[in-house]
Amino acid sequence: MKFQKRRANTKQEIPTASMPDIVFMLLLFFMVTTTLREYDVMVHYKLPEAKAIEKIENKRLIQYVWVGAGNRIQINDSIVKLSEIEPLMYAKRQALPNVIISLRIDKGVDMGLVTDIQQELRKAYCLRINYSTTLKI
Amino acid sequence: MIKKRKIAEATIPTSSMADIAFLLLLFFLVATTIDVDTGIGLVLPEYVKDVSTVEVPKNRMAAVLINANGDVLMDGKPISIYQVKDNLKPRIISKIDLPKNKKLIVSVKTDRKTKYNSYIQALDQIKSAYFEVRDEYSNQNYGRKYNDLPEDEQKVVQEKIPIIISIAEPEKVKQ
Repeated sequence: MKFQKRRANTKQEIPTASMPDIVFMLLLFFMVTTTLREYDVMVHYKLPEAKAIEKIENKRLIQYVWVGAGNRIQINDSIVKLSEIEPLMYAKRQALPNVIISLRIDKGVDMGLVTDIQQELRKAYCLRINYSTTLKI
Repeated sequence: MIKKRKIAEATIPTSSMADIAFLLLLFFLVATTIDVDTGIGLVLPEYVKDVSTVEVPKNRMAAVLINANGDVLMDGKPISIYQVKDNLKPRIISKIDLPKNKKLIVSVKTDRKTKYNSYIQALDQIKSAYFEVRDEYSNQNYGRKYNDLPEDEQKVVQEKIPIIISIAEPEKVKQ
């Protein structure tokens, strides 16, 4: 008696024709997502979490102020002193009258410093601010 | 007899068009604003040199004090930071029908050594209290949530329930 080998006679290859496209897509994805930072953030910060948050709709109006651990303040691309905030912000307000200041402040910073910054902003007439927070889930 | 000339094929290969389109789509999807800026918005008062104090009747004020340890004192009573919302809501609701100059003012005062995080938590509680009251009011009067209302109706609700938060300057730490 002869045994017949049972095997399906379908092809056993994975189609690889679209492989380059998939790879290109992945490449593009990673290329785009990794290099989209406008500023080099030189301070170390961790944002607080909150529930009742709003979105800032107009991204062009935003001016960021980072405050990180060790009370380092960064505006644009440089670390600044507290007394330098007012002239910088005043110039910014001249260019963009309804600028929104987005304060990206570390969780552990003392309120004293935050208030000092707010005082400087008030002097510069930058009155619309936004405490940047992440969504608490 | 004239021989018919064979026309060379002049088609552009279009089979990869879809892929190219997908790539472009993906590119734009990804490139447009990935991280949305979210946060708690606030408008600071204008800077004036000589601060003149205005007496505000006590029943208009809700004072939230936060000390350096993150303990909260609301109108003289020590409460947990997560109770601020529930304490505030009935007070906001009771003032909905009052005229503009009698609405509630929430005053937040911190110590210079208070951590920023506890301040944000308190602000968050106050904001959510206001948002919930606004939602409830909109639901009762318009049958929809505040965010789904058309702009003119939102204005009415905003006028009924304005968010007035006063940020008091922190006191110097007494030694």
